[in-house]
Amino acid sequence: MTIDYVNTDTPTFRSARAPRLAWSFFRVGAMNELQYRSNFFLQLLESVLTLGAGLVGLAVVFGRTTSLGGWSRPELLVVMGVFTMVGGITNTFVVPNMQKLVEDIQRGTLDFALTKPADAQILVSVRQVSIWQSVDILTGLIVLIVGMVQLGDNSNGVKGAVSLVMLLLLGSWTIYCFWLILASSAFWFIRVNEMQELFQGLFRSGQYPVRIYPGWMRFGLTFLVPIGFAVTVPAEAATNRLTGMTVVVALAAAALFGIGSRWIWRTGLKRYSGASA
Amino acid sequence: MTIPAAEIHVERLEKVFSVPVREAGLRASLRSLVHREVREVRAVNGVSFTIEPGEVVGFLGPNGAGKTTTLKMLSGLLQPSGGKATVLGYEPGRRDPAMLSRLALVMGNRNQLQWDLPAMDSFELNRAIYRIPRSEFIEMRDELIELLEIAELVTKPVRNLSLGERMKVEIAGSLLHRPIVLFLDEPTIGLDITMQKRIRSFISEYNLRYGATVVLTSHYMADVQALCKRVIIIHHGNVLFDGDLAALSQKFAATKTVVIRFEQLLPATANDVGVPDLSRFGTVVSVADGAVSLTVSRDEVARITAQILNDFSVLDLTIEDPPIDDVIERVFAAGATVEGVTGG
Amino acid sequence: MANTVTEIILRDQVRVSRWRSMISLYWMLAKTAMQIQFQYRVSNYFYMIGMVVEPTIYLVVWRTIAESSGGAVGGYTAGTFAAYYIVWTLVRNMNIVFTPFGWEARIREGELSGQLLRPVHPIHYDLGSFAGWKVIVIVFWIPIAAVLSLAFRPTLDPNMEQCIVFFIAIWGAYLIRSMLLWVLGMVSFWTTRVSALFTIYFTAELLLSGRLVPMTLMPGWVQGLSWFLPFRWTFGFPITALVGPISRTELVVGVFAQIGWVLFGVLLVKVVWKRGIRKFSAVGG
Repeated sequence: MTIDYVNTDTPTFRSARAPRLAWSFFRVGAMNELQYRSNFFLQLLESVLTLGAGLVGLAVVFGRTTSLGGWSRPELLVVMGVFTMVGGITNTFVVPNMQKLVEDIQRGTLDFALTKPADAQILVSVRQVSIWQSVDILTGLIVLIVGMVQLGDNSNGVKGAVSLVMLLLLGSWTIYCFWLILASSAFWFIRVNEMQELFQGLFRSGQYPVRIYPGWMRFGLTFLVPIGFAVTVPAEAATNRLTGMTVVVALAAAALFGIGSRWIWRTGLKRYSGASA
Repeated sequence: MTIPAAEIHVERLEKVFSVPVREAGLRASLRSLVHREVREVRAVNGVSFTIEPGEVVGFLGPNGAGKTTTLKMLSGLLQPSGGKATVLGYEPGRRDPAMLSRLALVMGNRNQLQWDLPAMDSFELNRAIYRIPRSEFIEMRDELIELLEIAELVTKPVRNLSLGERMKVEIAGSLLHRPIVLFLDEPTIGLDITMQKRIRSFISEYNLRYGATVVLTSHYMADVQALCKRVIIIHHGNVLFDGDLAALSQKFAATKTVVIRFEQLLPATANDVGVPDLSRFGTVVSVADGAVSLTVSRDEVARITAQILNDFSVLDLTIEDPPIDDVIERVFAAGATVEGVTGG
Repeated sequence: MANTVTEIILRDQVRVSRWRSMISLYWMLAKTAMQIQFQYRVSNYFYMIGMVVEPTIYLVVWRTIAESSGGAVGGYTAGTFAAYYIVWTLVRNMNIVFTPFGWEARIREGELSGQLLRPVHPIHYDLGSFAGWKVIVIVFWIPIAAVLSLAFRPTLDPNMEQCIVFFIAIWGAYLIRSMLLWVLGMVSFWTTRVSALFTIYFTAELLLSGRLVPMTLMPGWVQGLSWFLPFRWTFGFPITALVGPISRTELVVGVFAQIGWVLFGVLLVKVVWKRGIRKFSAVGG
């Protein structure tokens, strides 16, 4: 459950500094949501069931083979864990904000963003938090750790863990940029909600490493919709499959998506303010 | 086959709701997990009346009085907590299809028609639902279209219609099966004056043409004055008055409210807000924004208005009926249950 | 005096016979739904394309396994896996019915009250209008199936019996799921805290219906369990009816099993509805 708990259309918020702002939003929102304790158990149940279904799928797969496209069972556990974590991060921090952004664009209530465009992107990206979705981060982490433990020697140990975290953050950043592009298309198109649902569906392909998909799918799921960067690449870090080349490409992609999304956001915002001026 | 008598008979009808009570605060929330407190709300508290076939009766009362709850019980949506009711000889709670296909409940701001399609298509759907033979259906549909003047509206998607147009088209859809009992819950709410009048005249026409029994709830006095000879006033779930509308107005609406806006405001001082003192004409109800509201007894209105217009430079003057809530307050103040003059 | 007026003007209602009016009702509901959904064709397409992702993932995974296991696994080749999951997309579209999550809104927003005023059981509205929607869906599905077939080259060679049973089975699946999800939704009459229950149901369905993998690939005890539950008859059975391998006996048994579950579903709906309506009309909407 997400709550838009703060009126952002006051002078205080327009001039406040971004990090402090982000923290106060988070604190207020978290406190609010923590009241609804039943949501926690509900979310936990859903998380466990979804993850459980995925693990059952893996179990059936590995009842019939010992490796899938070169990936062993513990490695696929790692992928599943990362997938769940990234889903959790996205659904907690990114999706609520992007959905609210689309709403604001469609209803014309984005005006507070026009006063300070530089801060606006930060504002619209951090003001909401769906705290109970973060349960997925926890459950995903557990599966991830189990997978890494099972890998034992084949995992990368501490070095792997560090690069995992960094690439996880990088991948999440890339996904955020993609979501921003998606949400910003509301400045031009009406059918954004359906595109968002389409993306949520596509994201499920991340539960397996994108490398197993046929060429054209792999390309689409890496460079068009950056699921590969969000999930597979961090998983490769943890499973000692990471190459220098991959890291370079991931960094490049993150930069490109960052610049691209920023540009689209600003162009859209100009269009929006031009329309209402 | 015998024609069921279009009669509504209600005896000591009751409806009690159990509403959970929850206080604010964390401690109260925790307590409520273990022990649920409920409060009993008597929405309808022993209501009795009989409506003869062909009557047009108005249920009057402020919000929360129990009017809608009574209608819902009479149309089978709600089970009574006590007492009994029969509509068309059936017990409404049983929701007998034979009863349902002879009655209609139209609620002010509810949509029954398909949103994305022209009303005509929804009409066809209703034909199938109510099993109306084709020729009968066409006849009724065309009559309704003519009476409600919706010929151009029925071919447009319902979502493209204005509120008033949508209401007319909804009413048409609800009457295709030619119900002989018609419950109308706030049918003119949110509509402009012209549309209100149009719908009122339609209801009257429907009643005359088909002899339908009509029960109308409203908190607009105008609806009731235009249509109902008989009113039943409901307040706090009780019948306060059941009888002739003329008698009600005569007995209880003894005053009118005159609102005067003055052209030249006197300079405002500490106590005075710049309007002349009108207390010799009647009771001053309020003075705000340069306008004075005055309660004047009915018989005196013409005389006093003329005098005010004569004595002062008046920018604007309106004469209003006291709001129905006030009338009802008077009814209430005059005695808990008043058996009014019954009339035909 | 009023009585005479009523008697003179009114004639008692002549009504169309029940069967004819039911057919007429379903036809009108389906027609209306088709008109509306055709208006929403872009939405429909977006949804269907998004939905294709799930079986594509499964397909790719199992195809990979088949190829690395010498061509086949559990009796399925890459080609038959492709056939299974492509037919899956049609069957999945066919068994989508009114979501139990939507019941709370229906109750709260007065839609149910409106339906209760009419002399028709509200389930007919859902059955009829979703059926019409399915017709549109089948038409829209064809190009999607064509693209998927080009990409994944399914092996599909059903005989005439299989095709007939398949056609029956997809509508059987539709009916079974309509009934069961209606019952699930009716739980909303008693409580609004229904999410957990629904999630458990859908997860069980995912694993026991043939949606995740063909049931023959599941361990024996899971297959055994699925025989007694309705899930496989809403998903796996229609798919395998067309894709095979399936014997004539199995086809017949499957059709009878579907009929059985439909009847069970109808009974359950009747029982729960009666109670649910009593609860609803005690409290009101």
